Formats: sequence, C-alpha cells, structure tokens
Amino acid sequence: MPPMKLCVPGDKLCSVENCIPGTGVFLRHGYIYSSLAGYVLKKNEGEELPVISVVRETETQLLPDVGAIVTCKVTSINPRFAKVHILYVGSTPLKDRFRGTIRKEDVRATEKDKVETYKSFRPGDIVLAKVISLGDVQSNYLLTTAENELGVVVAHNEAGAQMVPISWCEMQCPRTHIKEFRKVARVQPEFLQA
Amino acid sequence: MVCGNMAGLELLSDQGYRLDGRKASELRKVQARMGVFAQADGSAYLEQGNTKALAVVYGPHEIRGSRSWIRHDRAVINCQYSMATFSTAERKRRPHGDRKSTEMSLHLKQTFEAAVMTQLYPRSQIDIYVKILQSDGGNYSVCVNAATLAVIDAGIPMRDYVCACSVGFVDETPLADLCYAEESGGVSSLALALLPRGGQIALLQMDARLHQDHLDALIEAAMTACKGVGKVLDEVVRLHLKEVSVLTGE
Repeated sequence: MPPMKLCVPGDKLCSVENCIPGTGVFLRHGYIYSSLAGYVLKKNEGEELPVISVVRETETQLLPDVGAIVTCKVTSINPRFAKVHILYVGSTPLKDRFRGTIRKEDVRATEKDKVETYKSFRPGDIVLAKVISLGDVQSNYLLTTAENELGVVVAHNEAGAQMVPISWCEMQCPRTHIKEFRKVARVQPEFLQA
Repeated sequence: MVCGNMAGLELLSDQGYRLDGRKASELRKVQARMGVFAQADGSAYLEQGNTKALAVVYGPHEIRGSRSWIRHDRAVINCQYSMATFSTAERKRRPHGDRKSTEMSLHLKQTFEAAVMTQLYPRSQIDIYVKILQSDGGNYSVCVNAATLAVIDAGIPMRDYVCACSVGFVDETPLADLCYAEESGGVSSLALALLPRGGQIALLQMDARLHQDHLDALIEAAMTACKGVGKVLDEVVRLHLKEVSVLTGE
C-alpha cells in the first residue's frame, strides 16, 4: 500500500471539481483545504467523485448531533421530564458526559399525556434515545424515546438485580419475579449477544 | 550616529548585531514538542530563545459553570494565561488575575476565535491554558505559537496555523523577535499573529509610539518573521505525525 500523505491545517488538497469534501476538511474559493493534522484519505464510492477526508490516529471528540442515536444513563426523574447523562454517541464513547433531557411528551409516541415518568424510567437506567434538538440557552440536549427501538435497555430493580424485559412496558426480575414498569426498547436481534 | 540605548547598552551595533549577537531580522531558536501530557486532549511545549511556554487544550466539551455564555451556533473558546512565579527575574507576586494576564487571555481568545473552526461544535467549550515557565520577551508570541501546536495536537480543526512574532523599531531598522532587554529598552514594539498561508492577520497589538511612515515596514518585517516561525512549526507538526504513526504501526 503506498504511504499515506501527511497534511497539516491549511494545506490545499485538491479542487472541488475532483473530489467531494469529507470530514476534517473545509471548502474555500473552490478548493478543498485540510483543517486537521493527519493523513489524507480518498475513498471511491461508486461512479461519483471520490470523497476526500483527513483522519487522525486518535478520534477527535464527537458531539451528539440532531438525529443521532445516543446511549445515556438516567440521573434524575421528575413528573415532567427525566435528566440523563449522554455516555455514547452511536458506538463511540464520549470522553466527557453531556447532559440531556427527555421530556414527558417525548417518552412515547402514543398517549403522550398519560405518560408517568416514574413508570417509564428510574435513576440508573441505561436508555437508548435519539437527539431531537441541541436545545437553546437554558436547556440541555433534548432527547426522545418515542420509537419502538428506543427506551430502556438495562435496568436494575429496587433490590439491585438486573431485570429482563417481558413487554414494551414491563420488566421482571428473574429471581424475585417482581414486575416493574419501564418504557422498554425493542433491541434489534442482530445487536444482541448470545 | 545615534543608537537607541539605555544605560549604555547598544540595541543595534554599527555592524548590525544585536545584544545577543543576532542580526536585525534573525529569529531566536525555536524548539517545540507536541503531546507532552497524556491526560489533556492536546498539549505542547515551546521555547523561543529563553522564553519557554507550556500550552494545554481541553475540549470541545459541554459548557460548565455559567450557562450565560452558551452560543447556539459555535463553540466558545476560553483562554487562560498565567506566568509561573519563577518565570521572571524577581519572583512574581501575582501569577494570574492581574490586569496584564487578563488582557493577554483576552487577546489569545480573540486570536484563536479567528483560526479555530468553532462553527463545527455548537454549544460547547474549548479551553486553552498557557503557562509561561520562563519569560525573556515575546510572551504573547510564544503563547500563541505553543497554543497553536496544542490545538493541532488535540485534533481541533483550524483554518491554518497561527504564528506570532514581535518586532521593534530601532535606528530605522525593524528588529524581529525581541528579547526582554530589547523590549524594556524603550523600543516601539508590535506583536502580530498571522495565518501564514493566506497572509491574514489574526491580531495586531501595539502600545508604543511610532511614526506612521514606519508602520508599513514594521508590519512587513513582522509578517516575514511570522512566516519563518510558521515554517518551524510546520516541521514540528510533520515530525510529530511521523513519530506517532510509527508507534501506532501505520
């Protein structure tokens, strides 16, 4: 494999007619410039122009973006919303926790006004959610679990044992068989490990 | 021929040599290392002659503390400049919080807001901390150069390098990269931070008296000096990239 080309911020890579800009680059006056110090990667995707991007060995900090699926941990609940710490964006762990909010009306898609947060989440639950908004000055990231694949994935009951989901709204402890209410995520089979 | 002098010191001799033996447009020796700390996102150590600075970058991360300076469309850059108590000839009583440090922090913030692509990280914060370990003139320039390397080490996208240098005007000659003796010798000095490839000025600072006829020549000399510093920084970055890639086996 030919050695990859090194580049530094401000290096002119190519013209916008030859390549499509990817990550780590920016456009200026019809030319593509590098914005990171790293290696130039050119990927050919079909008949379109190749995508040019600059990669580093260590991945830079990823920020949750609108529409991204994030994994978060519930820190506190309230009749109106639940506060969470965002831990992973997609499958990339974040170095630093970001704070998010799941409002009562974003917990489910149906019967939004009859939702009780106490019956959907509890502090300490691991939840899969989607970012709907970056929020404004006062608020944190706004998240939603109003889809079948979103919701609680790991939860512990009041005794501390990990519970098993039995339906979209209930989880059961395997030892005491006590059921507790949660808004459970229907995880796709390919993501489950045997 | 009158030489600019203070207590008998000649800032520029008849043969064109300065106090430390340099020529008028010669820069001091620049040595730098990136990635000196593992726990920070980015870090760099830079020496320019006897002035030594350490720069550390954290970010981008969620804004902590006051929520009042959240910007919905871009990241906020938070700079802090401080000097070690042992950095000057007399032990420094107040390393940070005094007026000069606050002003310097503000200048650094303005400089980096011009170069870092903050619109890629809305509602987040990038922290840049610079500490002067030994001060021998050109504090602002050394801080900017060290912080540039630290930001590149952290992987934060930038439009271009930011290179800075100070210049002074003595005997109708611009002197590049002033040391402490020259700065305190009553020389009209100017500090310039430049994005070398586009030739764009990020910050220009001057608080002395200079005749406006000399301004163009001084700015030209500053830009040339900055481009010289830029070449050295470029070499340091490329060397660091090669070293890191050898370690990760690419």
